[in-house]
Amino acid sequence: MTSLTRHPDYWRGHFIAMASDCELLIDPCPESRARALLVAAERRVRAIEQKYSRYREDNLVARLHRAEGKPVAIDGETLSLLTFADHCYRLSDGLFDLTSGVLRRAWRFDGCDRLPSQGEIDALLPLIGWERVRYDDSTLSLPAGMELDFGGIGKEYAVDQVAAELARQAPSLSVLVNFGGDIAISVPRAPERPPWQVGIATPSKPTQASYPLTLRHGALATSGDSQRFLRHGGVRYSHILNPKTGWATRSGPAQVTVAGQSCLQAGLLATLALLHETEAEAFIRAQQVPYWIQP
Amino acid sequence: MQLSHRPSLPDTSTPGPPVPKNTGFTNISAALAVASSALIAAPINAQEAPPSQHQWQFDTALLAYGESGDRVKALEGSIQGVRSDGDDQRLSLMLTFDALTGASATGAVPQRRAQTFTRPSGLGEYTTAAGQTPLDDTFRDTRVQINAGWAAPFGDNSGFEVGAHLSKEYDYLSLGVSGALSHSLDRNNTTLRLGLAGYADSIEPEGQIPLPLAVMPLRSDYPDEEAFIQAFNATRGAAKEHKDTAELQLGITQVINRRTLMLLNYSYAEVSGYQSDPFKLVSRIDAQGRAIAQNYESRPERRRKQALFWQTKMHFGAPVLESAYRFMHDDWGIDSHTLELRLNLMLPSGHTLEPQLRLYHQSAADFYRPYLQQETPTYASADYRLAEMTTYTLGFRYRIPLTGARSASARIAYYVQNPEGPGGPGELAGLNLYPRLEALMLQLGYRF
Repeated sequence: MTSLTRHPDYWRGHFIAMASDCELLIDPCPESRARALLVAAERRVRAIEQKYSRYREDNLVARLHRAEGKPVAIDGETLSLLTFADHCYRLSDGLFDLTSGVLRRAWRFDGCDRLPSQGEIDALLPLIGWERVRYDDSTLSLPAGMELDFGGIGKEYAVDQVAAELARQAPSLSVLVNFGGDIAISVPRAPERPPWQVGIATPSKPTQASYPLTLRHGALATSGDSQRFLRHGGVRYSHILNPKTGWATRSGPAQVTVAGQSCLQAGLLATLALLHETEAEAFIRAQQVPYWIQP
Repeated sequence: MQLSHRPSLPDTSTPGPPVPKNTGFTNISAALAVASSALIAAPINAQEAPPSQHQWQFDTALLAYGESGDRVKALEGSIQGVRSDGDDQRLSLMLTFDALTGASATGAVPQRRAQTFTRPSGLGEYTTAAGQTPLDDTFRDTRVQINAGWAAPFGDNSGFEVGAHLSKEYDYLSLGVSGALSHSLDRNNTTLRLGLAGYADSIEPEGQIPLPLAVMPLRSDYPDEEAFIQAFNATRGAAKEHKDTAELQLGITQVINRRTLMLLNYSYAEVSGYQSDPFKLVSRIDAQGRAIAQNYESRPERRRKQALFWQTKMHFGAPVLESAYRFMHDDWGIDSHTLELRLNLMLPSGHTLEPQLRLYHQSAADFYRPYLQQETPTYASADYRLAEMTTYTLGFRYRIPLTGARSASARIAYYVQNPEGPGGPGELAGLNLYPRLEALMLQLGYRF
């Protein structure tokens, strides 16, 4: 259900995709213009979701998993994503690994308190390893049993892609793109207008945007889900899984918000911070980016 | 700029691995920003690639090579195109063009006085100054090389490749074909490869092929041009000679663990036919070290080479270390060892810097003779490439990723070659028989 509503200082467009509320805040302009931008954004998001979702049977990811080790064709966009994932893997010393999705077979964050055994995790660890993914300019192959999961960067990628697309289509209008808390601004908001305001939900008050932030340009991403976690023996296990150990993070802050140049950059820094658990703040401080930590 | 923060204590009583301590964090935010902007700026197709889609990727490179002194200079340009499609079929075409100028050592010994040599063509002479290594300055050539390859999978876990090679210089032609089969086991963790290759080379130098160990005639030793030409022609054999190579390759690639990939290759090659260099000489000297004659070199017509190549690629997070060792043994008596290390580092800018180090050592061929005295062996060559030698190459490659899969790179490398061998009698004792060679290489590459 796509909606567009007029507010005093902006248009607010809304639709649901990638299991998130997708919101656009558009500088004042004719309604037809705002609607065209909303339609373009939604089309772009749905194309990305269609292509990289692991819940579909008819896309690249499904074909790759069915191929049992044989190569499948990829296009330039997928090659760019793989190249980016490779950079992230190297820069994070393996903490970001596109093949770590298999851990979901052991971990369920549906509110239950079931903790996987070390044996279950050990059985999955051999299926994780970005080095074993072979790709070149037009093909990609994955050893049988392994999985590729774009979920860790998919939403941030969609946010950046939509922001870039809107900047191309409307270089004079500032649009805030907000998909479930992952945010990017298409072009900086003009100084004569107030900065964009966003609220970040906190784990303690998940339904309420408890602290407002303002920004004119750039991107914002939050890691550490307010609702998806597992509580066992009084310990809160987040849904953020360490590809090296196979375990969910259980110490350190519950949530990190990072401001960056792109949503992908901010999102990765936020997730990597949480993976450093009690060292999260030391890690994020070293990145010299604005950040907000929820204990 | 933080709103609230409370350090939480590490909790070791709960299930799960201990949290590693790390305080010296690297700033990776700039590199991530560069990588993400490259990703977002890359052109995208709204539709997913249909499985039959062909894609070309091109690698272009320009290499300038210069040796110290007045030695070889080379300029090489290459373009490689690879077309792959969804069935993992791959066509690759490569075109290389190079131009060489300068002079290379003939193998003749230096002397305390100027020496005169007949040009390889028999047309004219050149002179080497006292104390200098004799160099043949007629060395000038351009070469065109074409390589084509086709690879495709078959069955469940197998593949094949075929290739063809053509290289043409003014007086040299090389033709080759190759084929290989590969098979993967254990969920692609192991790949076995069997390859065969064959090459047919022919050489047709100006002035024809010199007879093995024939003495180079000098114009000054003959009363007139006609007598000299007659003498020169008497040293000449066929106009054209051939060389054939057959090679067998066996390889295994093994994933050791999530950080390590290993490759082991064995190859056996048998080369038969004319393998001498028609431009190389061996000096005959007297007891005082004076050159009394120059002989054209002579090498065996058969050579069997075996090589073992071992390569390991290790990922340590952002740095990737590639180490390789190659051992080659042949029945000419040459044993060589090559050690190569490349460390690929990713900088905060997202660019990569790769220091490269290569060490090489070889023993001399059995028939390597820096000079001849009284003896007249069947085979003799003074070519420094068959002498005992050690070489070092130190290089750096810098690569800048551009949008999508495009990248630009630059490489600079410094090369040192130290041939070794026994000293000479008499006046040769004070002369440098094994001059050291230095070279500088600069390479620019662009991938699109």
